[in-house]
Amino acid sequence: MTQPDFTEHRSMLSNSVADFARGADLARVRKLREGNPECDRKVWTQMAELGWLGVLAPEASGGMGLKLGDMAIVAQGLARALTPEPLTAAAVLAVRVLADSRNDVLKGMLLEGLVSGEILPAVAWQEEAGSLDVNNINVQATPAGDGFRVNGSKRFIMGATSADGYIVSARSGQELVLLSVPRDTPGATLQFDALADGRQSGTLTLTNVIVPKAQVLNSGAAAAESLARAIDHTAAIIGAELCGIMSRSLEITLDYLKTRVQFGKAIGSFQALQHRAVDLYIQQELSSAVLGECLAILDGEPDAKTRAATASRVKARCTDAALLITRQSIQMHGAIGYTEDCDVGLYVKRAMVLAAWLGNGHAHRRRYAKTEILEGAL
Amino acid sequence: MSATAAVDYNAMDDDAFRAEARAFFESEYPENLRFLPRRLTWAESKPWWMALSKKGWLAPNWPVEHGGMGLEPGKLIIYWEETERAGIGRMPDQGVTMVGPTLIRFGNEAQRAKYLPKILSGENVWCQGYSEPNAGSDLASLRTEAVLDGEHYVINGSKIWTSMAHHATNIYVLVRTDKQVKQQRGISFLLVDMKTPGITFRTIRNIAGHEEFCQVFFDNVRTHKDNLVGKLNEGWTIAKGLLTFERLNIGSPRRPLQAFEQLDTLARAQKLFDDPGFVDRYTQLKMDLNDLGSLYQRYVDKARRGEALGPDISMLKVFAMDTYQKLAELLLEAGAEYGAYADEITLADEKIDLMAQFYTSRPGTIYGGSNEIQRNILSKYVLQLPG
Repeated sequence: MTQPDFTEHRSMLSNSVADFARGADLARVRKLREGNPECDRKVWTQMAELGWLGVLAPEASGGMGLKLGDMAIVAQGLARALTPEPLTAAAVLAVRVLADSRNDVLKGMLLEGLVSGEILPAVAWQEEAGSLDVNNINVQATPAGDGFRVNGSKRFIMGATSADGYIVSARSGQELVLLSVPRDTPGATLQFDALADGRQSGTLTLTNVIVPKAQVLNSGAAAAESLARAIDHTAAIIGAELCGIMSRSLEITLDYLKTRVQFGKAIGSFQALQHRAVDLYIQQELSSAVLGECLAILDGEPDAKTRAATASRVKARCTDAALLITRQSIQMHGAIGYTEDCDVGLYVKRAMVLAAWLGNGHAHRRRYAKTEILEGAL
Repeated sequence: MSATAAVDYNAMDDDAFRAEARAFFESEYPENLRFLPRRLTWAESKPWWMALSKKGWLAPNWPVEHGGMGLEPGKLIIYWEETERAGIGRMPDQGVTMVGPTLIRFGNEAQRAKYLPKILSGENVWCQGYSEPNAGSDLASLRTEAVLDGEHYVINGSKIWTSMAHHATNIYVLVRTDKQVKQQRGISFLLVDMKTPGITFRTIRNIAGHEEFCQVFFDNVRTHKDNLVGKLNEGWTIAKGLLTFERLNIGSPRRPLQAFEQLDTLARAQKLFDDPGFVDRYTQLKMDLNDLGSLYQRYVDKARRGEALGPDISMLKVFAMDTYQKLAELLLEAGAEYGAYADEITLADEKIDLMAQFYTSRPGTIYGGSNEIQRNILSKYVLQLPG
């Protein structure tokens, strides 16, 4: 019964993304680099109007209530155009965490705001590089009044420059709590580090930040489970973005191989480069196959262990393939590929940023080994 | 003339020479210019250039009678190694590395008298005009042409990837002087003053954001026919003759070793040695580097014995640059989330610039003959495969 709807949604999303990407202009992308905010709120509103911010959000909050497979279409298409706006950070990571919230008033307000493009929250959970464990945190929430006093630091926050507020995970005794902290809250300070693609990684320092009870989104095992699921789903959608990056980078490079003439021939007629191009294409198709199968598994809501292993398969493969393809894109362009003006450089840089976000290939292989291989052997 | 010129460095014990070089580089080279992830500008280079010049150490590769140190290959390699060890930056050194040796070997007395002293004095800064927009890997297809008109060659065309042309006073160019013969036989080697009317250039920003490359345009640029080096149409032989020894330098394990030291610092700061997966890859690269050292040493010994370095030396560049790239890639991966940071990071009180190592490692497989071209050379001239 729902099957025809899927197809319809997917082709609609696919068309709207293709239209947007056709009009997208790398000059805008170049200009926004190293800007703060890195996101153009007018474009963000446009993305909201197209429904993209609400693909995964429940219909009750103005969203479409669709699947990761649908979200991947949008993420992949926008990544091809190198769109700098924090789509995945907001429309997957934040939406998933918010949708699970048991604070109905706050959840309704934030989700509706997010879907309509008016409120842009960023999830601030990670503290240690290379960690994928939601419990591996030290930010402390101690009871104060009817809520908490929060202290500590969060790192590697994506979409932080334009965020209106943060969803912060903290330790309260043995429990994990998820708190909403608006940007201008006293005691919350932000610092930015430039990333390779010109976007910024945020570090949020919380010093005696008071969070009233009304700002608590979730707590206990449900909070940890919700955050872990959101991270796995986001990692998989980053895989979709990486697929977009690698496919466009390879496309540009194949065009170059067909048109660049040296030794009296198109360089694409040299077998050494033909074989390399084919190897890259195989990596691209492998990534796309893994992505497709794994998104379907994730959309089936498997148990936590399968979910983690599935997300890790996607992130590890897509990361490695995108890094390889974009780096080889430089090599096959030769010196021109090493210039600022050459577009492949933009893809190389975005690939590095997406690779490092929420666990790189190494981190995901390590996690996969832990859950899928070593556990049984121990 | 001076006391330094009288020193016979080649007669010195290797260790003693190494100690003297190390002490000099360590004490005299400016601290703030060590291990930079980019080339030095001329303004940054000049004080060090002059310090080297004053000591008679600017041109280790030139014969003593031309103002160089006259080092034999073994000593020259020690000099390079110590330069790299001290983190001395790459100056706009084409005058010393390319123009001097070319004029000494192929130039005439008048050219040597006119140009060599000005290189040593820092008055002339040279850049290289080889590649063109349509002649990169296929350099022999270059089309910038020079036509004799009275006493002058008139040059038209454009050169690209000219490093530091915006800091240079002179450029040496490969130009087409005969279109009727086989490509390689119609190329000549000319010297041109960058201030000559008709020369313009634009800078090209690289992927790391630095302006090191230029494109240089020649619009009816006149250079006196006395600036032809070697014989007319023999420029290709000159250009090729200089490349093999350069490849020995590019193949030195020193630069990847620097990246490896950064990896070591990062691994300790992030406690990565607890992770067997990391340790395996770390060890693999450590052993690759050791093995690169062995391959390099084989060529160093050959050069020391005064034997000619053949086309097989291309393998040194291929393996050195591939290893360096793998190291820089592991460095980014080991950095986890920090591996996407554009700038230097501080971990456990140590500063590491992951991204700079990555960017520095990329062009090594492209410039000076890409790794693909090196493999062509190996398959054609060493393995003698058909085609």
